[in-house]
Amino acid sequence: MTAIDTAAAPRRHSRLQTWLAWLGRKTRIHTRFFLMLMALTAGIVIECGRPSSWRRPVQREFWRVLHFALKGSLVPTCFIALVGGIGMVYQALYWLSVLGEEASIGNILVAVLVRELAPVLVGVILLGRAGAVTLTELGQLHAGRQVRALRMQGLDPLLFLVMPRGVAFALASYTLGIIFVLATLLFGFVAGSLLGIADMSIWSFLDNVLRATARSDFVLFPLKMLAIGLMVAATICMTALAAETHDRLGVLMARGFVRGILAVLLTSVLFSLMV
Amino acid sequence: MPQILRLSHVRSATLFGSAGQAQLDFTLLPGELALIDARDPTLAAGFADLCCGLEPIDEGTVRFLDRDWSALPHDLADALRGQIGCVMASAGWLRFLDIATNILVAPLYHTNHDLDRLRGEAAALARRFGLPGIPAGPIDSLSQDDLLRAGFVRAFLGDPKLVILESPVQGLFPDLVPILLNQIAVLRDQGGAAIWLTRSRLVWDNRSFPATHRLRLGYRGFVHVHGSHHPAPAGAHA
Repeated sequence: MTAIDTAAAPRRHSRLQTWLAWLGRKTRIHTRFFLMLMALTAGIVIECGRPSSWRRPVQREFWRVLHFALKGSLVPTCFIALVGGIGMVYQALYWLSVLGEEASIGNILVAVLVRELAPVLVGVILLGRAGAVTLTELGQLHAGRQVRALRMQGLDPLLFLVMPRGVAFALASYTLGIIFVLATLLFGFVAGSLLGIADMSIWSFLDNVLRATARSDFVLFPLKMLAIGLMVAATICMTALAAETHDRLGVLMARGFVRGILAVLLTSVLFSLMV
Repeated sequence: MPQILRLSHVRSATLFGSAGQAQLDFTLLPGELALIDARDPTLAAGFADLCCGLEPIDEGTVRFLDRDWSALPHDLADALRGQIGCVMASAGWLRFLDIATNILVAPLYHTNHDLDRLRGEAAALARRFGLPGIPAGPIDSLSQDDLLRAGFVRAFLGDPKLVILESPVQGLFPDLVPILLNQIAVLRDQGGAAIWLTRSRLVWDNRSFPATHRLRLGYRGFVHVHGSHHPAPAGAHA
């Protein structure tokens, strides 16, 4: 090796290091939100299992958020279930009766409604109603330096603000998911019966759906609903609490909505891949 | 009895800027009241954060009740902060909670005290600060004056060991100064201490202000002002 070659080796090495550093920096910047979101979600899951985390103000906050999340999302959920029932269950009943394949109604409804549509639609409803309220509450909190006030009083923002919202959203999502599925099936069947398409009893129809439901669905559906609720809450809280003081509420709302939709879709896809 | 607060050789680039060479040395003993002229609100807020162990420091130690903030685990530090009452310049009210919950939230979080007992204590404090009882309703329903009084109730509730007041009367409500001083005297008699950060000339120029320390806080650190060691006002609240 000549003297020139030995001098070029460290330079090549240094160029490689610079390139790796650049790549790492870019990757870190672009995955920062995702990694923080995962850390926050893990924090919520870990902390909610500790009895000492559930102090009196935290419990109050949990019940308050659960109340407005359920109350605010119940009517939209029922309305969309009505539209979905007529648009999907009735249509499925109609076309399967034309083809003489009424027996496969359960398989179709479980595959489309229970596994895919219900989690995504409930996630979007929760995001639009309770998520927007939460984003406004926490966004204002950050802008008004109330987070500092909380910390000065020794109140952990994760325990007091984020954890109760995460658990409340998860439970609300699960509850709304059950309501959505039952209401969609019921509205669709009633519409089919009134229009003379469904020539079976409600019990046969529900039995058909129940028989088509796999054992794994009884585990994955609740898990999926809980995870979607949790991810909506974590995304919203993260967006609000990571905001800069100059961020306007409108910008935060748009950012939170896009991130929330992505979180709902990604969580849903992830759980669908597990089946 | 432990020292309430001790700042030893504290340097903080976050507080004073990277160019600043300021070093803070300050001790607050039980029964003392420090009046600090802090005209820069950002610096005053940063100093309050520093006392609560929330401002990062580069050198030195900040000890509260003989415990070094930097050596404490997160949950213990939070529990210790429960013994500090703060009147913040930015008020720091949570708008999604009513005013009574805002006042009671810290003692409910840090203690197992009965809610009725806490309500009783808060109501007694509220009356001392000129309110008819614990204010009810949302934050926006209170006038600025009443909100300020409610802030004092929140700061003094739960027998704090240290009360930090960031421009508490905001130069707008001088009639509140004697009421506040009476409550500080009660705190001092019980072995607590207080730090009063002010921008008001009215408070700073008042030579009868019962401060045991008089300091100026600037970007070069503390400047001690002569005649700062007044005796503690025994029974001043009576």
